[in-house]
Amino acid sequence: MAVVSVKDLRKRYRAGDPWAVDGVTFELEAGEAFGLLGPNGAGKTSVVKMIAGLIHPDVGSISLFGSHPGNPAARAQLGFAPEDPDFPKFLRASEILDYFASLLGLDEAERKRRIPETLAFAGLDAERRQIRQFSKGMKQRLGIAQAILGRPKLLILDEPTADLDPLGRRDVRALIERLKQSGVAILLNSHLLSEVELVCDTVAIMGKGRVLKEGTMEEVVPEGRNLEDVFVELFQAASPKRDQLPSFIDEGQSR
Amino acid sequence: MNGTAAVARYTLLELSRRRVLLVFFLVGSLGIVGLGVGLRILYSLFESNPNGGFNPVTNQFVELQFVSLIRSALGTFGLLIAYGIGMTAIYHDLDSGAATSIFSKPVSRFAFSVGKILAGVAALVVIVGLLAVEARLVMLLFGGGYEDAITEEVLATVANTLVVMLIVLALSTWMNNIVAAVVAFVYYNVITGVMTLLHSFVNSNLIENGVARAVIDVAYWLFPHPLTSSIPAALVRAQVQAGGQSGQSSGPAAAVLQGSGPGDIAWWAFVMVFFAAVVYYSVRRRQV
Repeated sequence: MAVVSVKDLRKRYRAGDPWAVDGVTFELEAGEAFGLLGPNGAGKTSVVKMIAGLIHPDVGSISLFGSHPGNPAARAQLGFAPEDPDFPKFLRASEILDYFASLLGLDEAERKRRIPETLAFAGLDAERRQIRQFSKGMKQRLGIAQAILGRPKLLILDEPTADLDPLGRRDVRALIERLKQSGVAILLNSHLLSEVELVCDTVAIMGKGRVLKEGTMEEVVPEGRNLEDVFVELFQAASPKRDQLPSFIDEGQSR
Repeated sequence: MNGTAAVARYTLLELSRRRVLLVFFLVGSLGIVGLGVGLRILYSLFESNPNGGFNPVTNQFVELQFVSLIRSALGTFGLLIAYGIGMTAIYHDLDSGAATSIFSKPVSRFAFSVGKILAGVAALVVIVGLLAVEARLVMLLFGGGYEDAITEEVLATVANTLVVMLIVLALSTWMNNIVAAVVAFVYYNVITGVMTLLHSFVNSNLIENGVARAVIDVAYWLFPHPLTSSIPAALVRAQVQAGGQSGQSSGPAAAVLQGSGPGDIAWWAFVMVFFAAVVYYSVRRRQV
């Protein structure tokens, strides 16, 4: 059985608006790393939020571990690291993990074992400040930490490395590899194509809410080329010309 | 239940660290002490100079003044704290994106809503309760005798501020929290304040027109209206008596300030359940 199965998913945020997600279908198996790519506004985050039960599709269906994403039992097996994660700002990192461990139903012994290790993995074990004093990178690391706390069978990472330094990115790549080997399904939503190419087995490229290209990495990226070439080719024709700088930039240089 | 307890526990922890609530509490508690000590000093001055041209001032009268002022102070600070909790307890989770991480965990929106409401109720009861305990202690300066007046008043204050907190909580899931506070203020403190006043005029037969009485009666029961203790009326009577006038002359004023009856309390309970349900409905519908 697929870990997550998405069929003909459609979503729009206001009546009359174009579809933010328009007929997306895919499946994800245990131990598979699936990359969801696309330019800004392609609908990637809407798709992962629907899978996590945070927003509701207008049309289509989602099966998460054979159940509806609204079912808490299904979400117990899900780890979700959102894009630009944030947390109750007057709590500390250890309190956030304890809070979320309670929501996951972990008993005290398990909380005492997992929380320090997870904080150490995120490099936040010595951090005593409240979340409101955290940098974006620290919040991102905590976002990943809370996502793996419940030992999920499906880990959704929405732009997980956007605010991380190179060391943090390396750690996330290593985490994805380790989790894949232990049978965890990964859904990675990222703009960093080189990263996706390194860790993902299958990939779907979205544009304007639709899946434009989908398949294994070998199917999508022909030999001798890379994912960035394929991506640019797909969107270059449709995107506005961005090679011309605003005129005032040159004015500044000539003075 | 685990989810509800966790949400309530960590919401309470967060609320306890919010400076705005701490400031309201500190200003309130300092104000109560200041009022008590100030009135006591004034009384001592009057006592030491009985021919100073003032009306006779008795210890009982000063204590009544204190109770009267404390009523206003508790009501005001209770409201401020209710707005403080209502504007932050759910709104900041939704606005900051914290709800995205929370709702992806195996917690139902119902458990989340109940946890938030329980935390808000607990925080409000504790803060107003502490202010009330302080007020009772300060009353010892006057020799006591009116402590029960504070207790009844506190119950009414907590009940009223809980409704305000729930209204702000519910509205802040739909709109900006400052706008929610303004809307709640207009709805609860202005519209229902006017309705309550008009209804008290009907009760005391100050409005005699039958149609107007019927309209006001219906409107009164359509809006949530504040519970009032029997203390205001008792205070008016006691103040008049302490001032040396006959108890009879306090009749009309005391009639206007009647305490809430069982019907009002039942209506309050319904309003609480109704707005708690609105909070849940708003949270359930909210897409984060």
